[in-house]
Amino acid sequence: MAQQIVKAMPEVIHHGIVDTHTQQRLERFLALEAALMDAHEYDRWITLWDSDEVLYWVPCNSDEQDPATGIAIIYDNRARLLERVMRLKDKTAHAYRPLARLVRSISGVVPLSVNGNELEVAASFVLGETRVGVQNIWLGKTHYHLIDSADGYRIRSKKVMLLNNDDAMPNLTFLV
Amino acid sequence: MTTRIPTGRDYNALVQEDRVHSAIFTDEQIFQDEMERIFHSTWLFALHESEIPNAGDFKRLQIGRYPVIATRDEQGEIHLLINRCRHRGAQVCESSHGNTRRFQCWYHGWTYDTRGDLVGLTGPEAYDKDFQCEAHGLTRLPRVESYRGFVFASVAREGISLSEYLGPTKPYIDIMVDASPTGELQVKPGVVNRTRYRGNWKQVGMDGYHPHYVHMSVFKIFSKRESTTGSAVGALHLEDPFADTSKSRTRGFPNGHACLDFREQRRPHADASIEELRRTEEGARYVDDMVGAYGEERAHDLIAWHGDPHLGLFPNLQLIHDHVRVVIPISPGETEVLMYPVFLKGVGQSINEKRLRAHEAFYGPAAAGSPDDAEIFERTQRGLLADADPWVQLGRGIQREEVDEDGSVAACISDEITQRAQMQEWKKLMTRG
Repeated sequence: MAQQIVKAMPEVIHHGIVDTHTQQRLERFLALEAALMDAHEYDRWITLWDSDEVLYWVPCNSDEQDPATGIAIIYDNRARLLERVMRLKDKTAHAYRPLARLVRSISGVVPLSVNGNELEVAASFVLGETRVGVQNIWLGKTHYHLIDSADGYRIRSKKVMLLNNDDAMPNLTFLV
Repeated sequence: MTTRIPTGRDYNALVQEDRVHSAIFTDEQIFQDEMERIFHSTWLFALHESEIPNAGDFKRLQIGRYPVIATRDEQGEIHLLINRCRHRGAQVCESSHGNTRRFQCWYHGWTYDTRGDLVGLTGPEAYDKDFQCEAHGLTRLPRVESYRGFVFASVAREGISLSEYLGPTKPYIDIMVDASPTGELQVKPGVVNRTRYRGNWKQVGMDGYHPHYVHMSVFKIFSKRESTTGSAVGALHLEDPFADTSKSRTRGFPNGHACLDFREQRRPHADASIEELRRTEEGARYVDDMVGAYGEERAHDLIAWHGDPHLGLFPNLQLIHDHVRVVIPISPGETEVLMYPVFLKGVGQSINEKRLRAHEAFYGPAAAGSPDDAEIFERTQRGLLADADPWVQLGRGIQREEVDEDGSVAACISDEITQRAQMQEWKKLMTRG
């Protein structure tokens, strides 16, 4: 979410809008989410999402492609997200078998705004994938809206801006 | 415009009626021959005219081996120009699409207008007085013709007309266009799934045999949905259109075109689609406008068909479900596939939005359908390299083919008529003198 960070108010960067403890909790939460995606732990990953309506959005062609007038690589509400998880787990979905081996690194975690128990957070990632003898490197920026609940953070929305979202890409058969 | 090099390969022997040799999918020299004998000789789909609607609009695309700029000039005429400066050969346009008055080469500043004419020669005093700017415009593809907004080009100076090339497939193209009550589509150059797989370009074709296997997980998941009417992708759950007992047919046309013809299978579902559409204001208006434009009977058919001709035009275009698909061969073992969702003109935004979501559900690198296809094409490419038993079987249903009124050959939906039609055209072009 480089643009959000570039355009952020000075106090967001220089002083920060959360305390160190909250920053560390956030980074641990994003590390957990990354680990669950890397390990294909879909059932646990889905529990990280808010129980109300959600949005999991991976734009296509540009980071700001409007889904009302263009397409997305992923544009899931809760119903579509549950279908996606069903397919990721389905042994007949042969594009997902064998599973890709994945490791990702999350960095640049910057809380952008706090509104009650809702946090807006920017981060970026580098993701390595190997599958059937082919290695792919995926890069992207992520923009979250998180709810700080009694059970920890929950994802209300997640927008993933892949660096190559306007280039010819191979199968994306895992979570980003 | 192309130099035909004699080939050492005997393509008659490699393509038989019911089988083909796997070398045609894996051999580098055969791929080079394909570029010359197919991609630089026959009609190729270039773009939809709505992608460059205004004077000065341009879009970059690939025609065979050639990088091409499609432009619309001040008079509204479309040109396909080879993206190569006539001075030292640098590409003069790097943007994927946009609007401009000029293309300037950044090597030595030669400048061209949207017709491709050389309008700016830097340091002209250093050139001989006989130097003719008129003879140094960007090279135009010699033949450009269109059918209902679909623009095709040929690198060959001579050949049959586009109309003759399309032949009896035209009413199928009409199915996609006439899903709009004004008979107009919009394709957006910046709205496209770009995907790439490590497999041969001929794998992308019409195949009514694979869905039960390749897309098994999709059938399982879509069968759990309540309703996805309004899109042919979603219409899968209504009844199995890929059963040989259904009214679906595979169809092979002259010139290598092929389709999965779901018209009769879908026709009985018109009333259900209309009922669903009528539940919303924009849906009801769509039904009324369609009936107004095409009459009751034709409108009902068009609504039942969802604008999906499921047509493959050899060698690089497919009109499937809600999108225009362009196949770009990169090498024998690498292919790019571009999928442009089409927008209907003259309809409410919710109609197009529903089509976009339906498209996304099945197509694209993280969707339910495309990854399955790409994966099986890659597995096929790895397998085909093992050529101990080199023959690839395409004989399914060859004994139950029937010739239809329009000259096409038809049989059950899982029969490999589509592959046979494409491969016979491949052989015809590859062996042509």
